[in-house]
Amino acid sequence: MPEDIAEVYRSTYPALVRFLYRKVWDQGRAEDLAQEAFARALVHRPENTRGWLFVVAANMARDEARRAAREKRHLTLLKSEPDAVHSSPEEEIDAETRTRRVRAALDELTPRDREALLLWDAGMSYDEIAAQTGLARGAIGTTLARARRRLVEAYDTGLEGGQHVARG
Amino acid sequence: MSHVDEGTLHAYLDGELPSAERTALEAHLADCATCRANLTEERALRERAAALLGSARPAERPAPPLEQLRRESKRSPWHVRRSFAWAASIALALGIGYYLRNPVEEMAPANTPAPEFGLYDRQAAPSGTLPAKAPPGRRPAPPPRPPRPAAAELAQMMEKDSAATRVALRSNEALTHAGPPSAVAAAAARPRADSPSANLPTVDGVLADRSQPALAQANARGAYNRSARELVDTAWPVINQPAARSILGAEPVGLPGLTTRKIRRSPGSDGTVVVEQALDASTVIQIFQRAASAGSLSDSTSYGFTGGFERARANRLARFVGRLRVEITGPLSADSLNRLLEQVAPLP
Repeated sequence: MPEDIAEVYRSTYPALVRFLYRKVWDQGRAEDLAQEAFARALVHRPENTRGWLFVVAANMARDEARRAAREKRHLTLLKSEPDAVHSSPEEEIDAETRTRRVRAALDELTPRDREALLLWDAGMSYDEIAAQTGLARGAIGTTLARARRRLVEAYDTGLEGGQHVARG
Repeated sequence: MSHVDEGTLHAYLDGELPSAERTALEAHLADCATCRANLTEERALRERAAALLGSARPAERPAPPLEQLRRESKRSPWHVRRSFAWAASIALALGIGYYLRNPVEEMAPANTPAPEFGLYDRQAAPSGTLPAKAPPGRRPAPPPRPPRPAAAELAQMMEKDSAATRVALRSNEALTHAGPPSAVAAAAARPRADSPSANLPTVDGVLADRSQPALAQANARGAYNRSARELVDTAWPVINQPAARSILGAEPVGLPGLTTRKIRRSPGSDGTVVVEQALDASTVIQIFQRAASAGSLSDSTSYGFTGGFERARANRLARFVGRLRVEITGPLSADSLNRLLEQVAPLP
């Protein structure tokens, strides 16, 4: 008997958007994909809705990333990364900069470590992460420890490298 | 117990360590300063990582209603309202005059006129209710039923159009979830209609939907039929074929092999004649015609027979047949109407 999707929707939608956001880095897109995942769940009625949703969402995000990469190649007038020269309010620059740095730091992780970390952050248990990633349950703690350490180190490294630009 | 590895410490901090391991770990921590220090370090790391991720999170916006996701393709509520309006306008168009469906009969097969219409035609408009009627004796004897080259094709068209309808209607199914479950909404949501992209309403069957409550169904149909009949009976006088011939200066044209339900003339002096032919009991094609020299038909149709909004929605295609400029309109796709128009010929 499939779970009540409405209940899963209520409890999981924000986490799924968050999970997707860390993959596509666009809020509207993340919401679209999350809603699409739920729309598919309504059709497929999977046994384990929550786990199924994250698998589908991860796949969609991967396709999305590939598509974005293709588009980027075709985009001749790719605007350069906006750094200090920006007219937005100070806080917005800070938030944008921080997000970009976190994104860059996450990119330093191995795909498996990153996936485990994002799933944990989306509220999944070790059992669910194990099922999702194919890792042994006993390896999840080690994976997350490595992922966290790497994320913090990469972020701090990026901070040092870009300090004169962002912090001025 | 040797020193605890960082994976175990993170599992502990995450609350994911099985209880037996947790108990053992806590016992060890009580005795091992190194591991306590490590635990403090890993806790800080864990919190730092969580804070970093938390700083790169989307704004929390409310989720759209789950119902909205039930549709096959995601559409905004605005789209739902628009398609509802579209369906509702079809239901309205029904009242104008194409669809005079007998409330109780089943839909007749294509080309088989409803008893009412068939009787009417064979008896050549009895009882003097209609103006300018030729004496029955002068009416040429009904010719032997000609072969019906158009019949098979028509049946195909009807089927095709209703297939297109089913596709179009799938997008309207959301209405039955999203909208209030009133009989009107149900009726509006289930027209057999062409796809909206064809910009053409096919409204047959809307009011015949047996799943509606019978009373609402009868009421709705009665109201629509009444208004339809009023318009038809008052606006464009019914004439006979010789009268049409004398107005047009040529034999009126129609689709060979189809029952001619009625011939009417424009209430104005523009010399327009319309031949109404039944594809089946509920689908009527109108063939407007006028001597080519008399100019465009476009302004002649504003006399109430085809109301403005309906005219805008129905497909209307034109061609010259002999000396007549002919326009065809009806609840079929443009493609179907176009093929029908190709077959238009002088009536026997």
